[in-house]
Amino acid sequence: MTKVLDLHDIQGNIVRAYGRFGFPVARYIFLQIRDGDKGRAFVGAVTNKVTSAATWGVGPHPIPKPKVTTNIAFTYGGLKALGVPRESLRGFPPEFVMGMKKRKDILGDDGPSAPENWDSVWHQEVHVFVSFNGQSQEFIEQQCQWLLQLIDQSDGGVVLLRGHRGDDGSTDLPYQDAKIVFENGKPTSKEHFGYTDGIGDPVFEGLPDSVLNANGRGKPTADGGWEPLATGEFILGHFDEAHEYPPAPKPFLLSRNSTFMVYRKLHQNVGTFNAYLEEQGKLYPGGKELLAAKFVGRWRDNGAPLVSAPDVERKKIWDAKFAQATSQERDNMLSSWDYDKDPNGAKCPFSSHIRRINPRSSLEFGNKGAFDTPGALSNRRRIIRRGLPYGEVKDPDRDDGNHGIIIMMINADINRQFEFVQQQWINYGNDFKASNDRDIILGNHSKEFPSKAVLPVEPDSDQVPFFLKAIPRLVETRGGDYFFVPSITALCIIAEGTIDPT
Amino acid sequence: MSNVSNNAYALTVLSPIKNDHIGELSYGDIVRNKLIEWDVDEGSPMAKVPQTYLARYFILDDVFSEALAGGDFWGTSYDILAFFSDKFRRRALPKIDQLKSRYLVFSSNFHGDLEIYLRGMWAVMQKEIKEVWGYCYAFDHVHDADTFIAYIKKCQLNAALFFVGSTDDSLEEQLKSLYLKQEFSKFAVEHQGLPAMELQKAYQAFIRRVEPTNLAGPSWKPGQSTLCK
Repeated sequence: MTKVLDLHDIQGNIVRAYGRFGFPVARYIFLQIRDGDKGRAFVGAVTNKVTSAATWGVGPHPIPKPKVTTNIAFTYGGLKALGVPRESLRGFPPEFVMGMKKRKDILGDDGPSAPENWDSVWHQEVHVFVSFNGQSQEFIEQQCQWLLQLIDQSDGGVVLLRGHRGDDGSTDLPYQDAKIVFENGKPTSKEHFGYTDGIGDPVFEGLPDSVLNANGRGKPTADGGWEPLATGEFILGHFDEAHEYPPAPKPFLLSRNSTFMVYRKLHQNVGTFNAYLEEQGKLYPGGKELLAAKFVGRWRDNGAPLVSAPDVERKKIWDAKFAQATSQERDNMLSSWDYDKDPNGAKCPFSSHIRRINPRSSLEFGNKGAFDTPGALSNRRRIIRRGLPYGEVKDPDRDDGNHGIIIMMINADINRQFEFVQQQWINYGNDFKASNDRDIILGNHSKEFPSKAVLPVEPDSDQVPFFLKAIPRLVETRGGDYFFVPSITALCIIAEGTIDPT
Repeated sequence: MSNVSNNAYALTVLSPIKNDHIGELSYGDIVRNKLIEWDVDEGSPMAKVPQTYLARYFILDDVFSEALAGGDFWGTSYDILAFFSDKFRRRALPKIDQLKSRYLVFSSNFHGDLEIYLRGMWAVMQKEIKEVWGYCYAFDHVHDADTFIAYIKKCQLNAALFFVGSTDDSLEEQLKSLYLKQEFSKFAVEHQGLPAMELQKAYQAFIRRVEPTNLAGPSWKPGQSTLCK
């Protein structure tokens, strides 16, 4: 039987990348609970407006598409301050209890990415995350006024935490704003290095049309097809890929349809990126744009995967086909492929960003049937990525502007999924037979032990491999934490103070 | 099960620690403290012992089991015991094993012959050997390399515990290979794109510097755990 999820009970940001649904602007707000009773009353009031994952505009009593969405999540400290019973708190996984700052050694948040260099909001104890995604800025401002009123009414029970860096060098802004990047006045799905972003998020059982969308976004099967991943990889209280319930706190009402979210503010060193790409692009035989594609595994302009469009000529053919394709065909062209025709990384290098964060079936290394299923080593390391760019690039030659990306990663097990990918695949290369080479874009490259990356060529070609040397740190962590994203049911019982873990 | 794999040897030694104490501290804890005090990596006394690929010491306090051994030897026919009293059924379960003493466990993978290896070990770390094994039964018979070899052989457990990540080449060969791999990667990265003549010249200089066939030339140090800068 096809699995059906209760979408009315799941928060909407888990299932939808709002940016792709006509919400180009967002605001992220961080709060601290100073009084449990007042805090719970506040959570109750917010819960009434929380946007669920329900499909808009269908069925009886259809839910209209909102002008602005509202979602909420809590750190461990936040749940404690809201009076979640000790017996329930004890059931949360250790990395969530510790929070992101204390996991810096595992995450590679060192040097410029170290917590002492984060935005000052993270130097306080963050308890609550509230996000608004708006069809326009105006709706966000309205929703924000409503939230500020609620905070006001809490009479000191809930406090807005300031301390976000902003455009004009300010360091004490009350909110983190984000918005899609405009190019020549037109909205794009690009980030500040110029890459088309947000392609190929995982698809799991229970989502509307999950089977239809599984191509290239679910898990690879032995016969070369695709299936949706198990729900429990992304949502608590459902079976995961091991046919087990992911570790979760008691009672079931608190955890079922809830999940965990990793919030990270990543500053992009745009000046360094452009200079490095320019310098290496002059040396690289394929030219600058192909080199930029090699960094990530996709071409910057439209996200064409290198596996299908490995050079300028084949990119032209791909582009022509893409231009004629229906939207479903386009989705397949962008997502539905595997690395089986590129076992040596000659098309998509082992250290390119997309090969690192989702190796698909490539960890079989061409040895078909090495595991019981081709994605055995990657199916349990998948992450849903949500988020938007923030700031604006005013001077493409400088690093110190206000520009980067807010990324929110959804997974059922932060340690097994996000932290593993960050530690073993982004900041280390052994699983890719790439020694200690890092993800070119996201790796925590340092001057002390200069990073390299290899761009391989086909073993029987007369070309030579290209080595990227002394890769500078292109992306720096500016803040973040681990959040519990409760189901709507869980939000209600947190607000009521009626969680009974016995 | 062989503990020899071509030229690689897997040595596993279990030496019983005397059930005695100094003040409140048992011998087992004293030995553990001594081991903790040893330096690690290049500074470890084991780094001085020729041909050591990887070595490990620990104190085995007791044997541990996941659960009580079950009484299901006869399958479901065992259920007939339900007929008898609980006391009787408990008595029918296997007894739990326990060690009579704590053990010093020494495990080493190395290149070549056991006796030559142990002789080399005695020659460079006699002081440390006495420091830890001195608390073990029958070590008072050890006073030179020959008696040390005899003692270790008596304590040896025939187990093929090989560490992965090593070939069976001599330590010098393996360290040199690691060094050459790292240096060659650096060379390739630093010199890519040079005209053929210049590249050849640089390569000749590189070869002169790294001396690929000279094991006594530049190489990694035994025990080295991080890359050379």
